[in-house]
Formats: sequence, structure tokens, C-alpha cells
Amino acid sequence: MSIPYEYYIALSGLLMVLGLIGVTVRKNIIAVLISTELMLNAVNIAFVAYDMKLNDVAGQVFVFFILTIAAAEAAVGLGLVMAIYRLRKDVDVEKLSELKL
Amino acid sequence: MSVIEQLVSGLGLPNFNVLIPEIILLLTAFAVFILEMFSKNRRVISAFSITGLLISGIYILVIILGILKLILSPITLREASANPFYSYILNNYLENFVTLYGLYVVDLFSLVFKLFLIIGTIFVLIHIRPYAEAKGSYYGEYYYLILFSLFGMFIMVSSPNLISFYVGLELMSISLYVLIGLYRKDYRSKEGAYKYLIIGGTGTAIVSYAIALLYGRTGTFDFREIAQTLIASNTVDVGLIGGLILLLVGLALKASAVPFHQWAPDAYEGAPTPVTAFLAVPSKIATYAIILRVVVEAFPSLTESWGFAWALFAAASMIFGNLVALRQKSVKRMLAYSSIAHTGYITAALAAPTGMGFAALAFYSIVYLFMGAGAFLLLASLEKNEGWNNTLEDFKGLAKKDPVSALLMLIFMFSLLGIPPTVGFFGKLGVFLALIGYNVWWLAVILVVTSIISAGYYLRVVANMYMYEPSFKGKINVSLVEKLSLGVLAVIVLILGIYPTQIWTLTTTISSLLMAGVGR
Repeated sequence: MSIPYEYYIALSGLLMVLGLIGVTVRKNIIAVLISTELMLNAVNIAFVAYDMKLNDVAGQVFVFFILTIAAAEAAVGLGLVMAIYRLRKDVDVEKLSELKL
Repeated sequence: MSVIEQLVSGLGLPNFNVLIPEIILLLTAFAVFILEMFSKNRRVISAFSITGLLISGIYILVIILGILKLILSPITLREASANPFYSYILNNYLENFVTLYGLYVVDLFSLVFKLFLIIGTIFVLIHIRPYAEAKGSYYGEYYYLILFSLFGMFIMVSSPNLISFYVGLELMSISLYVLIGLYRKDYRSKEGAYKYLIIGGTGTAIVSYAIALLYGRTGTFDFREIAQTLIASNTVDVGLIGGLILLLVGLALKASAVPFHQWAPDAYEGAPTPVTAFLAVPSKIATYAIILRVVVEAFPSLTESWGFAWALFAAASMIFGNLVALRQKSVKRMLAYSSIAHTGYITAALAAPTGMGFAALAFYSIVYLFMGAGAFLLLASLEKNEGWNNTLEDFKGLAKKDPVSALLMLIFMFSLLGIPPTVGFFGKLGVFLALIGYNVWWLAVILVVTSIISAGYYLRVVANMYMYEPSFKGKINVSLVEKLSLGVLAVIVLILGIYPTQIWTLTTTISSLLMAGVGR
């Protein structure tokens, strides 16, 4: 018995929304970065699920692109977190904001 | 037969002739990457990357002129195939221009945008070394990161497919995240880069979710095949609507349209000023170009929906950008809000999904290159002086201390505002006429009213420069090379403002080719 693809889509939608909520409410800059990665992984699930529906492999190829790009983005993001921590000794979003409207 | 030979005989070799500018650009970037490790001579690195860009740009210019000659003037097919140059263009750019197995398209649209992206990048590269040396934050990484980012923009403007569009977008954005953070041990630069990374990363996730939804609905990544599937099925369901909305939101976020603009002012202010120019002008222009291509090629059956969505984004950007720019003390931040407002003016043209509207979008984004780059790069040159903070206060009496810089600033400000003998006027006029022609009166009225509001802050800079006694204590020194390159930009702004016919013909041609390609 296999699980219908709609369930996977629902899961990926849920993870996407959780990631969006995480970006807006988390206070730790590393947690915010993790939330963006969570969203990209939600997209991966959606692609594989749609491949199940369409009997295709193009979506799974796209997953490789997303994985690579997510890795690059995480590398740059962690580098910036390191730089910010060195300059301010803090990872709290609210204490860090200097640029204002 | 080896495996590779079998693969090649099955698929056929892609047409590499059309990729020559990209190959030159990429080779330059790698050569700069290696040169930067071994050579300490900064002028050599700078001159080398500018030369690579020039060669690539001249190649593209020659091809564009050849294509225009073939399309616009009555040369018969036989005459064309007799001439080696024309037959080269005919074979490569008018027939086999989709290459790399349908993932890359080199048509007139992408060539024109590539040419202007290269021009903008050359001006940024001229200004980056003096600025970085004066500020004590010289890194050789600037050069190859800018070149890689430019390569991402090239992929973006010539993508006929959601895969290459996505890869190009990310190559551009990730290089930009690093570039913004590359400013001494300055905290604000890191904060701006981090904000852009988080909000841009969210945008990436949203765009890729939109691609997933569209793929699930249509089963393909190709713009034209998506359009055909949508026209054939002719039903609108949740997957399609969700995919389109998320795609538009993600693109609006990358183009910094209100309400997704929060990253823009911070990233612009934190970045080293020449990088701000690169971020505000070439990267934005590539984004506008891909927005135009995606909506026109993939969703021709849903013009009303995306036209209305862009009308809302544009109205919000124009109103918010101009009103907030009024209360800024720092000219750099003011120009950041003005660039949000310009996103509004440019995308407003999409509310009129006609040939006129698309031509107006292309025209305005091309001419915005000259005035936007000019304004930001002039700030970069002034900022080199000790104690200059880019505040409105600093600009008081600039005309007495450095009349040439003040005059250049005056030209760029008038052009951004849209006062006649400058080209900004024709940009706004094109968008305005397109909106009137499609009966979107409310947006046309917002465009005019917000342009009048914007006089409040552009003219304040001019008034400060010419009507006050100097308040800035230090010396103002802008080097001759910088004055020359800024002068070239100002002269282009003035010449195009008096005689915009050439660029207008070019953009009308690419918009009609884009429209003609939709039915194919």
C-alpha cells in the first residue's frame, strides 16, 4: 500500500509555513537561518511528490539544484553569522538591529 | 563507440557559437580569480577584468547590429546567405538560438539586456578600486564576485526555462550576499548582508515552491510548454493560482517591490557604495528583464491577473518609496528608497500588457541604468573624502567647492526626477502613454502624482548644493578618471534625453519579437 501523493504535498506545505513562521518570530539569527533551509527542504518534498504523481524524473533533477543552492546559501549565511558574532558578541535579532527605517 | 560519443550522437552538440560572450566572461572571471592570488598589482586585475568585459560587450554589440540590419532593412535571404557575416548571424542567432538542449536562449531580447548589463558593470568596476583603497577595504574578491554575479544575470536574462532561471537567479543573489558583506570590519555591512540573505533566501524558497506547484500542474519547466498546457487545458485551479501568486511574490521580493522591500534600504546602506550601484542597477535590470520574460512567455493566457498584480505592487512601491524617501537624512538611503520607487515606475508598465507596455518597461529599465549608476557612483566618489557621510548636510554648498561634481549630481537628480532634457522624462512618458493606452487611468495618475512628490527630495539635494554656503569642512577631491566616467554617464543621459529614438526603436523591436514568439 502506498501513501497518495497529496499527503506529501500537504506535509511540504506545512513545513513551508513553519519555515515562514520561523523566519518571522525566531530571535536567534542562527535559528532564522535554519528556518530558510527548512523552507527549501519543504520544496524538495513537494518536487519528489509531484514526480510520484507525474511519473517523471525532471522534478528530482531540480531537487539536486535546490540542494546545491541551499548548501551555498547556508555557507554564506553561517559565514555572516560568524562575522556578526565577532563584531557584536551576540546572536539576538532585537539587540542587533542598527539600521532603522 | 564510447559512452560520451553515444550520448552526443543521440542528443546532438549544443550550439556553442552563441555562447561566446558567456565563455569570454567566465574565462575572465576564472583568470581574475587566479591572477588575484599571484599578482599584487591592483591596476592589472582591474584593467584585466574591464578588458574581458569590453571584448564580450563589443562582440554582443556587433551581433545586435547585425541582427537589427537583417530584421529591419530589406535584405533578401539570398543576399544575406552570400555574405559570410550575415549568414553566420542567420545560422546562429535567427535559427539555432536555443542551445544547451532547450535550457538557454540567445535572442535579441537577451542580447540587448546583456549589452547594457555589461556597460553598467564596467562603470562599477572602474569605480571600485579607488573607493576601496580610499576606504582601506580593498579585497581582490570584489572583481571575480562581480563577474560571477554578472554571469548569473546573463543566465537569467536568457533563460527560456524555470531551471536555468532559478540557477541564474541564485548565482546572482549568492554572489551579491558576499559582496554586500565585504566592507572592512564594518558591522552595518554585515547586518545589511544578513538581512538580504534571510529575506532573499525566503524569496528563493517561495520562487522554488512556485516552480514546484507549476511543475505539478503542467509537468514541464519550459516557459512556452507551460503556456501551451495552460491554453490547452483552459481551467484555472488551486495549483495554478497558487503557483502564479507565489512566483509573482518571489519576483517582487527580488525586485524589492513594496510590500517586500524591507531588505533593500538596509542592504543598500550597508554595502560599499560601488557595490550598492551594482546591486541597485544591473541586478535590478536583470530582474525586470526576467519578470517580463516569465509573465509574457509562460502566462499569456492570464494577462489580466498578473497585470493587475503588478499594478498593485507598482502603486504600493511608488507611493511608499517616494513618501519614505522624503524623510531620509542620508542621501544614500534616500536613493535606496528612490530605487524602490523606480521599481514601481518600471513594473507599472506591466499593468498595460501590450507591446507598448513591454517596450516601455525595457526602455525605462535600460535608461535607468545610466542615471541610477551615475547617482550611486557619484556618491562613491564623494564618499572617498575624509569625513563625508553622504548626509544632506554634507551636500550644502557643494557647487562652490566642486562645481563639476555638483553639475553631474544635478543632471542625475533631474533625470531620476524626470525633467525634460534628460532621459528620465522619456522613461516615465513611455510608461505613462502605455498605461493611458490600456485605460489604466488610476495607475497613470499615481505615477504622475508620486513623480511630483519625488521632486521634494531630489530637488532638496540640488537646492542644498547650489543655494547654501559650504558646510562640509574637509577637502573635496574627485579624481579625473572618476569625473570622466561619470561625465560619460551624464552625457549619455543628456544625449538620450534629446534623441531617444535609437533605444526606443531597439526596445520596440525586442518587445514585438517577444510578443511574436508567444504564439510559437
